[in-house]
Amino acid sequence: MEKVECIVVGGGLAGLVAAYGLAREGVEVMVLERGNYAGAKNVTGGRLYMRPLRRIYPELWDDMPFERPVARELITMLGDGAATTVELASERLSGPSPQSYTIQRAKLDQWLADKATAAGAMVVTDMKADELLRDGERVIGVRAGGDEVGAEVTIIAEGVLGLLSGGAGLREQPRAADHAVGFKEIIELPPGVIEDRWRLNEGEGAAQLFMGDVTRGMTGGGFLYTNRASIALGVVVSMEQMRTRSDELESWELLDAFKEAAQIKPLVRGGELAEYSAHAVFEGGIDKLPRSYGAGYLLAGEAAGFALNALVTVRGMDLAIASGWAAARAALAARAAGDSSAAALAVYERFLRETFVMRAMEAGRGVPRAIENRRLFSEYPGAVARLLEGFFAVDDESSATLVRTSLRGARREFLKIDTLKDLWSLRKV
Amino acid sequence: MDIAVCVKTNPDLQLMRVKDRAPVLEAVPFKVGDLDKNALEAALLLRDAAGDGRVVAVTVSEGDRKIRETMKEALAIGADEAVIVSDPALDQSDQAGVALALAGAIGKAGPFDLVLFGEGSTDGYSGQVPSRVAELLGLPEIGYARSLQSTGAVLRAERSMGESIETLETALPAAVTVVSEINEPRIPSLMNIMKAGKKPVVEYALGDLALDAAAVAPRRAVRSNLAEEQSRKHVLFDGEPAAQAEALINALVAEGVLGR
Amino acid sequence: MAAILVYSEQADTALELVGAARGLAPQLGLTVSAAVLGAEAAGTAAAAAALAAHGAAPVYVCTEPALEGLDTAVVTQALAHIVEQAGASVVLLGSTRRGRELGGRLAQRLGAGCVTDAISLTVEDGLLVAGRYNLGGATVQRETIATPVQVVAVMPKIFEAGEPGGAGAGEAVVAVSAELAAPAVKVVDRRPKEGQAVDLAAAARIVGVGRGLAKRDDLPLTEALAAALGAELACTKSLADFGWMADDRIVGLSGAKTAPDMYLAVGISGQVQHTVGIAQARIIAVVNQDKDAPMFALADYGVVGDLYKLVPALVERLKTL
Ligand SMILES: Cc1cc2nc3c(=O)[nH]c(=O)nc-3n(C[C@H](O)[C@H](O)[C@H](O)COP(=O)(O)OP(=O)(O)OC[C@H]3O[C@@H](n4cnc5c(N)ncnc54)[C@H](O)[C@@H]3O)c2cc1C
Ligand SMILES: Cc1cc2nc3c(=O)[nH]c(=O)nc-3n(C[C@H](O)[C@H](O)[C@H](O)COP(=O)(O)OP(=O)(O)OC[C@H]3O[C@@H](n4cnc5c(N)ncnc54)[C@H](O)[C@@H]3O)c2cc1C
Ligand SMILES: Nc1ncnc2c1ncn2[C@@H]1O[C@H](COP(=O)(O)O)[C@@H](O)[C@H]1O
Repeated sequence: MEKVECIVVGGGLAGLVAAYGLAREGVEVMVLERGNYAGAKNVTGGRLYMRPLRRIYPELWDDMPFERPVARELITMLGDGAATTVELASERLSGPSPQSYTIQRAKLDQWLADKATAAGAMVVTDMKADELLRDGERVIGVRAGGDEVGAEVTIIAEGVLGLLSGGAGLREQPRAADHAVGFKEIIELPPGVIEDRWRLNEGEGAAQLFMGDVTRGMTGGGFLYTNRASIALGVVVSMEQMRTRSDELESWELLDAFKEAAQIKPLVRGGELAEYSAHAVFEGGIDKLPRSYGAGYLLAGEAAGFALNALVTVRGMDLAIASGWAAARAALAARAAGDSSAAALAVYERFLRETFVMRAMEAGRGVPRAIENRRLFSEYPGAVARLLEGFFAVDDESSATLVRTSLRGARREFLKIDTLKDLWSLRKV
Repeated sequence: MDIAVCVKTNPDLQLMRVKDRAPVLEAVPFKVGDLDKNALEAALLLRDAAGDGRVVAVTVSEGDRKIRETMKEALAIGADEAVIVSDPALDQSDQAGVALALAGAIGKAGPFDLVLFGEGSTDGYSGQVPSRVAELLGLPEIGYARSLQSTGAVLRAERSMGESIETLETALPAAVTVVSEINEPRIPSLMNIMKAGKKPVVEYALGDLALDAAAVAPRRAVRSNLAEEQSRKHVLFDGEPAAQAEALINALVAEGVLGR
Repeated sequence: MAAILVYSEQADTALELVGAARGLAPQLGLTVSAAVLGAEAAGTAAAAAALAAHGAAPVYVCTEPALEGLDTAVVTQALAHIVEQAGASVVLLGSTRRGRELGGRLAQRLGAGCVTDAISLTVEDGLLVAGRYNLGGATVQRETIATPVQVVAVMPKIFEAGEPGGAGAGEAVVAVSAELAAPAVKVVDRRPKEGQAVDLAAAARIVGVGRGLAKRDDLPLTEALAAALGAELACTKSLADFGWMADDRIVGLSGAKTAPDMYLAVGISGQVQHTVGIAQARIIAVVNQDKDAPMFALADYGVVGDLYKLVPALVERLKTL
């Protein structure tokens, strides 16, 4: 069996940062990404919290392809045909070192892939890892594209749902109750229009979060981020509540209604739909985290459960990056010690604690989800569990992005709950 | 048999959009030209049939196209070596400049028994580059080959031209372009992708080929590059097939394109 | 006065190019001349006479034996010689397969810039502007050439041949002798294509078939539809690559550019390399089972469904028309 020092499954943020960290230390590392380019299948709302990341590979971020630094934060509560918006514009949010940026994954991931490649990593796209190879407890490599490749350490950064690690029994199979599902559109608008509509200085961006009527009583909310020449508009709702609805609500109806709302319509007026996507996000919290390491492997990013969905803000990218960094360090330590046993790789937990990852997850524990939800969102009765098996996931796996000419029609088909339901049930196969 | 295959890096047009009639190429990834993969496959088959020799993928950078990554793809498909000509002066070049650089690189990395091309590049599809290179290298040229055999000294090709099918022969060395029907390009396995990283890659700047910026300056200027306007009616007919057929034919009759 | 020199191995294309050249010449301050090449004297003389009658003056005729087979390298030598003799500053070629191949080689020999597959020629600010499809056909790129000699290979059927007559109609046919190297490429066999040739560019109705058709044996299904519609049958490149249909039935970037009254696309996804060949159709109808197929974006009328049900239904309905 051909062998490399390190295999990374998943060319998302966690995987690419891990690969970069290993490659720059001269480790022979190969990233397997099933999309036809890095970022092809990745969905995010669009805001990257940057501050905690600057300490991680400071040299990396100078030319990061961001859209706009977020200078204005808005929270809008919708209900009964009325809207209240709370707004914060702060120099400390923007300033010379902005707290967060809007980004687009297709660009950010490709850029990171380039950085990892330049550092010496091999990024193989169009290549799905089909199975983890085991020798007893130990993960010894992967099977992909009909070939088996061995590795001293395999970093599993396959994102939410964790089909590969779940299949290998490294973590529990995903449960709908621990996930939210997000639907999102990219709507193009000229930069000047964006700046006028959100009252921004040239080049600056806004983040607007929505609570209330958006979700028809389900836990969740809406988001709107301004990119350079487009906005990302989306809804995130509880997967469990979505799938147990008794009406025939389709996710695109949710999004369409959101766009049609009197308060939103003028914001998207004149915009052109450029892309739509759907994706799950983990919200199981710190109590549901799988063990993130074992003999010959590490879990990083959302595959390890590192994501937070606190009502309307979703956070996962910064955690993915930081955990990818920690995973690289752990693999390096194991390499230095010539030992990749579970005991040796346990340093990963320490590295994770040393970053903000575990602190953030710890802080997220405080969100009393169930109670909060009922109080905020459950005036809508009648959610009878009618739908049978689980829910979610798009195409044969967990995510998909489509850019097509016939967008509108395609989107309707694509954002059908039935499709999502079926595909969620596929996770078991 | 030693074969040079000219491989161009193209944006993945499936992922390109058109907005306000203008192509949006930002963040569109690059890949090996579709027909260049056929050329590569043809080269590998000829090399293997000959029992020895090498296949060298040659590319000329045209702007910032992640040329090294694409050449890895070519190596993973099976090329033995890669030659890259990369120079900022080439970013504005057209087919004439690219051909000069290609001819220079082929001359330097050669000699070759055969130089293979796609009959057109995925994005430009001009078909000029192969002919220009053939002229520069003084090689006989067979365009649009849909089958190729070699006896070592003589190359035999079949091609379809207008009203006739031709079988041609030429002595080697020669330049040949291929059409997509010639073969089904292989998809590289993970193992071959891994091996690709270890294959030799040579890079030349223009100076290495005794060329300079003036030599590759563009001979053409682009005035505009916009999508044509299209306005269509977009009427869809639902129902059973018979009802759909009825509605469709009625619509065509009403348009005056069918019936009496 | 400098000249526009027209050459195509296809007699009808050459006449179209003379038609185009006659339109452009006054705007560019050029005359129109033409070249006829071939080893065979009778055919070349007839072609030269036709070109002369349509206003090319003079018509340069070269009948060197080396031109037998029209090897591109040899044709290039002959044409380069004539370009010089004619003082041509613009060379118009027909963008057939042979013409495309020739364009690059001739331009290289002349140190010229070149545009192949031109679909439009205009004069703007005193400059010749050629339009051609770019990015797989998604856009039309309009280009000017900056070299003293400009080579443009023009798609057949874009311009009208025009009426006989014109400035120096019937004037001079100039015999050219040139020292040409023997062709390095030998034509071992040349056989006409099976089946009658089809001229899709001139067809009024076309049924285009794509990979929605599962197997070659199902072709009669679509043939029946084409017959019932009084349409020519065409295909995507994929089907021609499979060898199911002749390549003169391909519509698109590397096939025919058509302009029928009606184009019915059956089981075609609508990649731009195909649709570029039907952009000029008056009415486009689409049968495809995938309602998200890009083909529907170009549809005037469409039905979403299985062609194996819809095509027979259409044939059935057409019987009662
Ligand atoms: C609607 C929505 C909005 C969000 N908004 C935000 C936000 O504003 N801010 C924020 O910080 N976070 C946000 N998140 C969360 C964030 O996007 C994720 O937590 C983050 O992308 C996780 O990164 P990752 O690298 O772990 O996984 P991913 O980015 O999902 O990457 C995993 C990669 O692995 C690949 N892969 C999977 N399986 C295989 C396999 N078997 N073989 C090969 N490759 C494989 C995938 O193709 C993918 O590229 C949002 C999420 C959603 C769904
Ligand atoms: C340089 C270059 C030049 C090219 N030039 C050309 C060209 O000139 N002409 C050309 O055509 N292509 C050309 N191509 C190829 C082109 O890109 C596409 O690959 C090709 O047009 C696709 O053919 P298709 O629509 O038949 O097949 P597909 O893309 O596979 O589409 C098949 C369609 O059939 C539908 N379908 C399947 N089953 C059924 C059913 N039972 N009933 C109804 N619908 C069904 C599917 O939904 C799908 O939309 C070129 C490509 C390159 C790279
Ligand atoms: N930049 C390039 N580098 C290498 N080969 C090229 C390049 N451009 C064109 N070619 C080759 O020439 C063929 C025809 O390209 P074109 O003339 O652009 O249609 C391609 O299929 C390639 O084989």
